[in-house]
Amino acid sequence: MYFALTDEQRALQDAVRSYLRDRFGPQQVRAVYEDPAGDADPAELWKAFGEQGWLAVLVPEEHDGIGLGLLDAAVLARAFGAGTVPGPWLGTVLAGEALRLAGSAEQQAAWLPRIAAGEVKGAVALHRPGSTPVPANAPATASGGTLSGSLALVEYAGVADVLVVAATDEQGAAGLYLVDPAAQGVTVTRLEALDRTTRTSHVQLDGAAAERLEGSSDAVLQSLLDRGAVLVANDLVGIARKALTDTVEYDKTRVQFGRPVGSFQAIKHNLADLHVGVTMAEHAAWFAAFAMDTDDPDVDAAVSIAKAKASDVARQATSDMIQYHGGIGYTWEHDAHFYFKRAKRLEYAFGDATQHRERIARLVLDRVSAERSLSFGEAGAQGGQAGVGMASAAQGTGVAAGAT
Amino acid sequence: MDLTYSPEDEDFRRELRSWLDTSLPTEMRQPAFWADKSEDEQFAVRRQWEADKAEAGFAGILWPTEYGGRGGTPTMKAVYDEEMVKANAPATVNPLGLTFLAPTVMMMGTEEQKRDIIRPLLHNEVIWCQGFSEPGAGSDLAALSMRAERQGEEYVLNGQKIWTTNATHGDKIFTLARTGAPEGSKRHAGISMLLVDMDQPGIEARPLKQMSGASEFGEVFFTDATCPVTEVLGGEGNGWATAMLLLSFERGSSAISQYTEFRKMWDEVAKAAAATDRDGRPAAEDPVLRQALASSLVELECLKYHSWHILTQTSQGRDLGFEASMTKLMWAETFRDLSDVYSDVVGPEFQVAGNPGISRQELTTMALWSRSCTIWGGSSEVQRNVVAERVLGLPR
Repeated sequence: MYFALTDEQRALQDAVRSYLRDRFGPQQVRAVYEDPAGDADPAELWKAFGEQGWLAVLVPEEHDGIGLGLLDAAVLARAFGAGTVPGPWLGTVLAGEALRLAGSAEQQAAWLPRIAAGEVKGAVALHRPGSTPVPANAPATASGGTLSGSLALVEYAGVADVLVVAATDEQGAAGLYLVDPAAQGVTVTRLEALDRTTRTSHVQLDGAAAERLEGSSDAVLQSLLDRGAVLVANDLVGIARKALTDTVEYDKTRVQFGRPVGSFQAIKHNLADLHVGVTMAEHAAWFAAFAMDTDDPDVDAAVSIAKAKASDVARQATSDMIQYHGGIGYTWEHDAHFYFKRAKRLEYAFGDATQHRERIARLVLDRVSAERSLSFGEAGAQGGQAGVGMASAAQGTGVAAGAT
Repeated sequence: MDLTYSPEDEDFRRELRSWLDTSLPTEMRQPAFWADKSEDEQFAVRRQWEADKAEAGFAGILWPTEYGGRGGTPTMKAVYDEEMVKANAPATVNPLGLTFLAPTVMMMGTEEQKRDIIRPLLHNEVIWCQGFSEPGAGSDLAALSMRAERQGEEYVLNGQKIWTTNATHGDKIFTLARTGAPEGSKRHAGISMLLVDMDQPGIEARPLKQMSGASEFGEVFFTDATCPVTEVLGGEGNGWATAMLLLSFERGSSAISQYTEFRKMWDEVAKAAAATDRDGRPAAEDPVLRQALASSLVELECLKYHSWHILTQTSQGRDLGFEASMTKLMWAETFRDLSDVYSDVVGPEFQVAGNPGISRQELTTMALWSRSCTIWGGSSEVQRNVVAERVLGLPR
């Protein structure tokens, strides 16, 4: 029983954190924010992604990658969330995952080594944004080797060398396709997003040439959607923890009414609840990644638990960050809005909390309620055993302890 | 990460299961078995069953064999907690002794106290009560006023304790009393933890009826009650530190038993949702209730992950310290929220759930019980203060 990161994973975490601290901190993030015309893809940062192996983490060793698991990628995603790091990391990593899971030997050989080295960038359009992340909600249709469809909110399509698009073919089967963003029939229109640590585009496909990933299936597409949800959940958890930590530090020193505002219980109790929530989301997001890596029987529910919890907690943490900084937290000059806006974007990426809770209901509630044993109700009719069924620790201890 | 248990732990699980198969009769696992018994009869059956269990070697999993324990590991204790709940085994009748006193004695007791206290407690020869809260000292425990005056080789105790679990079944009580004066503003000084025999003329225990109708706790009156001066745990005047250590023992692997228990309840609520009509359809198909049930499950599963986290830390010999408050806050609030989801599922039937034909007596009992869990052992508000001040470092 060991539910924690390994020493190697901790070393990876330290490496990415120290790089961000030394080379890509809040000042560099702010520079990206203040350059709305730019591509939010700093060349130095991308170079580091490649050199440090952060794009190779999931690429198999036979394709010049490191061949680690989703939990290792989650370590990176969490650090990038905490640092509100821009760049097409997620899209590129997921494009790599699509190729690893469904690509032919040739397709893998053509792309994976270059993805691992940071020589190419990827973008993905795997479901219609806002819809439930399932294969049935693929955003494009495939016909005769071409794709058509209106792809809303594709991140970093403007800098991508390859698009991975989910499409439904004439037989109604979902598949994954590679599309060259520069090809005929592809129109990329940039949109202004609130979160400037990304770049979002609308991509119109009108009979664009596309190459099907040979091993495509509903199962692979669902797995890819789940991997996206897990990485985003970890990014959200990174955001939430950082927002909480910064808020606690500020409220320790900000004095009003002659006392630090963090001494007021109205604030203290909320921050305590938030700490519990963030801690639980951290557990859930690690476990979801681990469950994907180990094909845990409960993996589907675990992914949705992580995404639902992380989305809710990040919303709360980033809202509280603004509130508990007072007026300064609402200014452009303060970093609070970086976290708030990134959390808002990711809350809705790869399914929002409501959609994932509905999936949990389908996976667990509908299964349990189908069992519907009547024996419980009958046994209960006899009266029941007051409190006896409770676990020992839950039996009253009869003390209200002033542990402070 | 590795979420499997060791071969030794799995061997232990098999051994425990096979003992439970033969020694926990099927009827005892059913609520109906308990229904026609009075609280005193239930207590007697549970006391004996648990003593037999100790005889078979399944008690004090973590405590050294020389004191009557099993000499096991934290993961074995987690396996034990999980299996006991899964088997619907009766809960311990000696929770204060097992969960609080035993570990405190192991850390702060004298060799003699370890020998004299642990084994009889594991075999239910001595049922322990805890005498901490008083009518004027609840969340503010340091406001306690019970006095213990030294007269020769005895303390003479006068005062009142309240919310005492097992008050009318207890053989002994570990209790906080003022053996010395507070030093100026230091209210925590001059307090001692005394181990007092309850079978004496100076002690009167009265049951208190709870909102559930049961009387699991009561109040204890001390009128010139006595105990030998040697019956102090942790040293005279050191009662506050001893009590704080004692209260921190809610941690450890118990979160796994809470998870297992509440997850069973969730499954029953899910079945109730399938069986309850809502606008001509099962309540389990109502989109709002589905969200609420899923939300509750998210919190429960997080509690499971958290129990793995705790187990990982304790297995490595780490002290969770004030993080224990987070665990208490988490499970108590999750349990209470689940009980509200249950009442939302059955709606108006919640009022009459004890009636034949409708009955969800056990769920209803738990829903009421959940109301106490955010109070005892440190209320949720006290836990939030601890988390904010001791974990996050916010100023007092």
